[in-house]
Amino acid sequence: MNGPRLLRSLDLTTVVVALLLAAIGVLAIASATMDQEGRENLWWWQVIWLALALLACLVVVTVDYHGWAAFALVLHGLALVLLIVVLLAGREVGGNRSWLAVGSVSVQPSELAKWTTCLALATYLARRVRAGIGLREAVEMGLIAGLPVGLVAMQPDMGTALTFVPIYLAALFLGGVRWKLLVAVLILGVLLAPIGWAHLKDYQKERILTVLDPERDPAGVGYQVRQSKIAVGSGRIAGKGFGNGTQSRLNFLPAHDTDFILAVIAEEFGFVGALAVLGLFYVLLFRCILAARSAQDRLGTYISLLVLCWLGGQIAVNVGMVLGYLPTIGVPLPLLSRGGSALLATMCGVGLIVNVRSRRFVN
Amino acid sequence: MTLMDYRERWELKEYRYSQRLRRRILVLHAALLALLVGYGLGFYYLQVVRGDEYALLAENNRLRRVPLPPMRGTIFDRNGEVLASTRPSMNLVLRREGLREADAQLRRLEGVLGVPYATLRARLDRMRDRPPFEPLVIREDVSLWEVAKIESRREWFPSVEVEQVPLRSYPAGPAVAHVIGYVGEVSEAQLATQGPEGPLQPGDLVGKTGIERALDERLRGQRGWKLVTVNSLGRQFGEARIGQEPVNGAPLRTTLDVRLQRALVEALGEEAGAGVFMDPRTGGILALASTPAFDPNLFASPVTPDSWRSLVEDPRRPLHDRAIASFYAPGSTFKVILSVAGVETGTISPAAVRYCSGSIVLYGRPFLCWKKGGHGAVDLERALVHSCNVYFYQLGKALGIEAIARYADLFNLGRPTGVELPGESGGVLPGPEWKRKRTGEPWYAGETISVSIGQGVLAVTPLQMATMISAVATGGFLPRPHVCADVAPAPVKLPLADDTLGLVRRALQQVVEAGTGRRAALGPIPVAGKTGTAQVFKRSAGIDADELPKHERDHAWFVGYAPADRPEIAFAVVVEHGGHGGTAAAPIARRVLEVFFADRLPEREPSPALIAAAAFARSDPAPAAERRGGGHERAAPSP
Repeated sequence: MNGPRLLRSLDLTTVVVALLLAAIGVLAIASATMDQEGRENLWWWQVIWLALALLACLVVVTVDYHGWAAFALVLHGLALVLLIVVLLAGREVGGNRSWLAVGSVSVQPSELAKWTTCLALATYLARRVRAGIGLREAVEMGLIAGLPVGLVAMQPDMGTALTFVPIYLAALFLGGVRWKLLVAVLILGVLLAPIGWAHLKDYQKERILTVLDPERDPAGVGYQVRQSKIAVGSGRIAGKGFGNGTQSRLNFLPAHDTDFILAVIAEEFGFVGALAVLGLFYVLLFRCILAARSAQDRLGTYISLLVLCWLGGQIAVNVGMVLGYLPTIGVPLPLLSRGGSALLATMCGVGLIVNVRSRRFVN
Repeated sequence: MTLMDYRERWELKEYRYSQRLRRRILVLHAALLALLVGYGLGFYYLQVVRGDEYALLAENNRLRRVPLPPMRGTIFDRNGEVLASTRPSMNLVLRREGLREADAQLRRLEGVLGVPYATLRARLDRMRDRPPFEPLVIREDVSLWEVAKIESRREWFPSVEVEQVPLRSYPAGPAVAHVIGYVGEVSEAQLATQGPEGPLQPGDLVGKTGIERALDERLRGQRGWKLVTVNSLGRQFGEARIGQEPVNGAPLRTTLDVRLQRALVEALGEEAGAGVFMDPRTGGILALASTPAFDPNLFASPVTPDSWRSLVEDPRRPLHDRAIASFYAPGSTFKVILSVAGVETGTISPAAVRYCSGSIVLYGRPFLCWKKGGHGAVDLERALVHSCNVYFYQLGKALGIEAIARYADLFNLGRPTGVELPGESGGVLPGPEWKRKRTGEPWYAGETISVSIGQGVLAVTPLQMATMISAVATGGFLPRPHVCADVAPAPVKLPLADDTLGLVRRALQQVVEAGTGRRAALGPIPVAGKTGTAQVFKRSAGIDADELPKHERDHAWFVGYAPADRPEIAFAVVVEHGGHGGTAAAPIARRVLEVFFADRLPEREPSPALIAAAAFARSDPAPAAERRGGGHERAAPSP
């Protein structure tokens, strides 16, 4: 497909929706951090990252997704190498060794790994899976998704590690896994849970228990959940207005510029703002479904649907966390939370959707 | 199977697979919609259904009610001299909200200020159950120098702050320790008593003893509050909004004279004892002191456990106010009561003469006079002047215990005087009924003989004695002792004949001029008084009094008033284990009187007390103006 034709069928809607969401994120970050000492310029950094991410998105769109699929395993391998490098030479922030310092900026290879995992699983499904998924396919796909999970879990960043799980499950589901096998995998997961529980750190256990009992330890782990609910609830219908959110600006709500950015939006723009964000997310994810349905081949369908599950999974976990339905595990909200690597990776994901959608007509 | 068949089957399979994929996409879409709608409902519930509730919680988060402590009222003496005042001081506190790296900060504090880490850690741990906005006080009343040491290392101490607090100070120190008292944080018990609607809150300062406690409500004032916007670390953010201004405590003017307080405490010196000086006409207390004293400034800030323990465990009990809470046998000073009772009841005629041979046998038992050779022939006046025991043994025997007790009670002995000060004791006024209740035994006639000379179980406080002698001085008007200058309880007229007290007063003047109280004589100012010696149980019998161990010596009393003809000041002084009243207690009274009458006494060799008083007068900024309002005609020279 040549340039002009790509331009004619380019899926601009998806890009615009993604940029809208990112812009709302920048606004909320600005409101939450602008008058905090030493953090005045954070929102500018987010704008710069957004520009970079848009550029990366364009690069992803330009190259036919079959081209990306051809190098999927190579790219995935590269991401795994970076994850190993991080473990060996990464920068530790808040107890997690997740950051790779490049000059003065830090990047999170785990975010890139989400993108390559989607690509690699989609490629595997399209090439290998002919007649549903048997045990062998499940295991091989488990390896593709499991390696980054294991490496990220060693950082140890449980929240990020967990975001790979919906991608893997979605891949099994879409690949036509037999219900029995899917149930078996789920049962295995449930059986393994106590072992996983034993390996969790105390603070992680506290976070999970807090969901079950919100009044538990209101000054400690429960604090964040409680403050998030206060921030959201106090926004009421119309919100307190831009720059008037006391919960975030006076620092009552921890991580208000990252994991809890949606609480800031809900506080300052109210129920209307929260609904607008949810609505935009629906449009974005619906665009994934459109791309999947109209894709010229299975590869395109799989890519679109896996990206959908990646973003949808993160949205589900993050919003659930903000509303106090899920444990506080550090999962950012795609496109809105502050963080350059995540924004870059997400925009690359959006790039894949646009890529598939724009090439829906077979030559 | 043909190629067509194969192709058909493949296409069928492909078709089925596509159908299944399509179904699964539909499932995904449905799940996505369900999720987003569910979350939308979640936002609806939090923001619309429970929005107002959370809005209130957010306000409570942001706004903090900060108490504004009132300034406690200043306490003045009768001349406008400050006895207790409140000044702003600075405390170093550790904010417990958002406290991180507590250990590191505490260790640095040890390095910079020398406050031991272990102490701070223990105090911090003890505060675990307190609300988090209550800071830990690291050090009270710090100097600017210490503040500078912290401020210059700001980044080491993110949670350390300087807090302004009112601090109580007592410029006269130990001289007014017992009568003024001290303040401290309100106790749990007091908070419990006032109930939940009471004005006091934890951490409030209240008077613990003395005037500070007696007039606490008046001095305390009312706390106010302000609303402060704070961030999550509790640091103020933006302007505060005053909710209610505090109402400062009212100033209090007392009847005390700090110069007399100083002279009294100085004169008591190292002795354990007490003195009460009052205006006999009004009952206004001029000086009330107990030794050993303590420095009330020690209590201005919560005391360190060490200094507190040393005060509480001191066997000499410096915290105890001997002037109102200790009671002693009155000794010979009680002969004043017997004299009045004897004349009033007509038991004796003042002119009737008895013979003192140095001892008398009553109820088959010898009772001794203090003078071995005896006083010879004595009438009432001579018996009082020379404190003849034998005369009063006989008078007491003739009066009987009921009559003695009746007159003692008339003069308010053996029961509290009702002064405002907390912790006043009643003492003991014994009698048959009292003894039956206490021991179940009958009253023995021999006990009446002991009581006749003020010994035995009879016990009175120095304040009661000062009140009693005031009534003698004023010719039968029993004053009601008080320390507040703005109350003037009327004296009680005692039902006594004028002649009776006239005779006693003549005798008491003789006591100082020619009798046992000569050491209280004050040149041109006639002084009247009576010495007393309260017997202390002695293990070492037969030893000369001066060689007795200190704790077995008798308590020395001196009570009296001056000028003898127109009394302006009445007093009672007791010195524990001082020995004779005339030698131990009378000189102490005189040194206070010297200060009281300083401007009426000729320039002689000044006593140390006079020098101190003179130095004090020079530093007094507005003595004349204050004195005019004092209600006490000090400047008028006596004729």
